[in-house]
Amino acid sequence: MRFIICFLIGWMPLCLVAQNDISIRFHHQINHQKLILNEQIKLPSESDSVVITTLKYYISGIQLLWQGKTVFRESNSHHLIHIEESKSCTFPLHTPKNIHFDQIVFCVGIDSISNVSGALGGDLDPTLGMYWTWQSGYINFKLEGIHPKCPSRKNEFQFHIGGYQMPYYPLQEIKLSIPNKKQIDIYLQLEKLMANLDFKTQKSIMIPGKEAMDFSKRFTQMFSTAQ
Amino acid sequence: MRKGIIYIALFSFFALVSFTSTEPLFHVPSGWPKPSYDFSKNTLSQDKINIGRALFYSPILSKDNTISCASCHLSFTGFAHTDHDLSHGIDGKIGKRNAPALMNLAWGKTFMWDGRINHLDMQALAPISDSNEMNENIAHVVEKLNQSNLFKNLFYSAYRDSLITGERTLKCITQFMLTLVSANSKYDQVMRHEDTFSSQEKNGYLLFQKNCASCHTEPLFTNNQFANNGLQMDTVLLDNGRFAITHLASDSLTFKVPTLRNIEFTYPYMHDGRFKKLSQVLNHYTSIPQHASTLDSQLQKPILLSANDKVDIISFLLTLTDKEFLYHPKFQYPKKLFSQSPNGL
Repeated sequence: MRFIICFLIGWMPLCLVAQNDISIRFHHQINHQKLILNEQIKLPSESDSVVITTLKYYISGIQLLWQGKTVFRESNSHHLIHIEESKSCTFPLHTPKNIHFDQIVFCVGIDSISNVSGALGGDLDPTLGMYWTWQSGYINFKLEGIHPKCPSRKNEFQFHIGGYQMPYYPLQEIKLSIPNKKQIDIYLQLEKLMANLDFKTQKSIMIPGKEAMDFSKRFTQMFSTAQ
Repeated sequence: MRKGIIYIALFSFFALVSFTSTEPLFHVPSGWPKPSYDFSKNTLSQDKINIGRALFYSPILSKDNTISCASCHLSFTGFAHTDHDLSHGIDGKIGKRNAPALMNLAWGKTFMWDGRINHLDMQALAPISDSNEMNENIAHVVEKLNQSNLFKNLFYSAYRDSLITGERTLKCITQFMLTLVSANSKYDQVMRHEDTFSSQEKNGYLLFQKNCASCHTEPLFTNNQFANNGLQMDTVLLDNGRFAITHLASDSLTFKVPTLRNIEFTYPYMHDGRFKKLSQVLNHYTSIPQHASTLDSQLQKPILLSANDKVDIISFLLTLTDKEFLYHPKFQYPKKLFSQSPNGL
C-alpha cells in the first residue's frame, strides 16, 4: 500500500507539468500560391510582375486565448521567421496539457524593452541581419525585391520596418481565430501586404519614422488562418 | 609539533587570503551615482574582460583586418584620438566626427555624439559596420573569431564552450569598456581630502561651478544630456547633430555633453574637433552668438570671464588628469596575449 502511495505521489508532479506541444507553422503565399523567392510573380491588380528576394520578420509575444481570456503566454517569445530557412517557419509552443483555445495573438516585430536591453542571444542575436547598426534597434520586418515601376537602381525596393520610440513604434498586434488543434497554420498573404502599394513613389524605407509606421499597418491585413 | 601544524595552518590561511583578495573588477567610487549599466545582465569576469580587451585591440573587427578600436581610441590619451579632428577608418577614409574619449561608460545612458546608440552593448556595432570606419559586419566578425584559435581558446575558458556568438562578442567588448573607470585625478584626491588645490586651481573650480557645471556636472563632468553650445555649423560637414536621429526641431544642432575628465589629453575638442586648445574652447563660450534658435538655455545669458579667470579655469581642468587611468597596464595593448598569435588573427 505504502509503495503504491509513494508511487502515485512520485508521479504527481510529472502529471502537473505535463506538456502538450502545439506547433505553429507559418506559410508564405502570394495569390494563394506558395511564395517562391527570385521568381517573377503576377500581382492580381497589375500588369507588371514582381520578384521577391528577401522576406524575414519577427513574431513575438505569442498568446493563446479561450473565450477572450489568455490561457497561455509564451516566455521569451521571439521568433525570427526567415522564408529561406524552412525550419524557422515552424516551431513548438510548450503549452500545458489539454489546453483549450480559440484565438491566437502575436506581434510582428520586437517590443521596445527588448530593443533597449543590450546584446541578446538566440533569434535576437545581432548577427542575424535584423539589427540596425547605425542606430540602435531591431528591424521588425524586411521585404526586398524588384518591381519594374521602382525608379531605383535595378528597380529594387527595400522595406526595413522597425523603431521602438513613440510616436513611431510600429509593433503590430495580430489576433486570429483558430481551431483547437495540435497544429496551428498561419498564412501570410503577401499580395495583401502589397495591395495599393505605389512602387513609383514607395521604393525604400530604411529608417524608423512615419513612413515605417504607416507601412506597418499593412501587417494587420496580411495574416489569416485559411489558404 | 602541534604548534608547528597550527603555524602552518595559519600561514596558509593568510597566504590564501592575500592571494584571493585582489581588487574588485568594478567598483563605484564613493559619492558617485549608481551606474546606468545593468551588471546583472552581463556579470563581469576577468576572463570576459580579457576577451573584451583582446577584441578592443584586434583589427579582426575590421573588413581587411587593419583597423582596431584602439586605432582611434588610445589608452594614453583617455582613449581619444589626440591630434585628429575627425576619426579615421579603413583605406584612409575619414569620418564625420571626432572620436570621443572613453571612460566611465558604465554611467552613460546613450552613446555617440548624437545618442543614436541606446545601450553600451550595441555601441561596437556602429564603428564595425560604418563604411568609413571598419566597414565590416558583425556576422562576418563572428565567423572570423570562430576560426581564430586564440579567440576560441579565450571564449572556451570564459564560457566553458568555445562557440562564439554575436551576443557574447558584444558583451565581452562591453565588459572591457565597463572597466575603464577614471576616478583618481587630483580633483578626486582633493574631494577625498588627500590633496589640496592651489589657490589658482581653487579659484578655477569656483568659476567652473558657477559657469560650466550645470552641463558638465560633477563627479562625471557630464549630465549625459544633449545641448546646442552655440557652435556654427561646419559648412562642409553640415552636421545637424541629434536632429538626424530624432527629427525633432528642438534637437537641431544639439550634441552630447562630453565628460571633461582627462581633458588635458583629449584634444582636439568639440564634436568636429575644431578647437586644438582649451583657451579656444573658453573663448568660444564667452563669445557665443545669441541667435541660434536651439541654443541651450544655460547659455542664453552670456558667460563673462576675464583673461585671468580663463587661465584659472584651465588650471582647474588640468586637475582632472588621472595618470593612474592613463597609464594603467590593464588598459593597454595585450602584448603577452598576442605574443603567440599576433592580434588574434
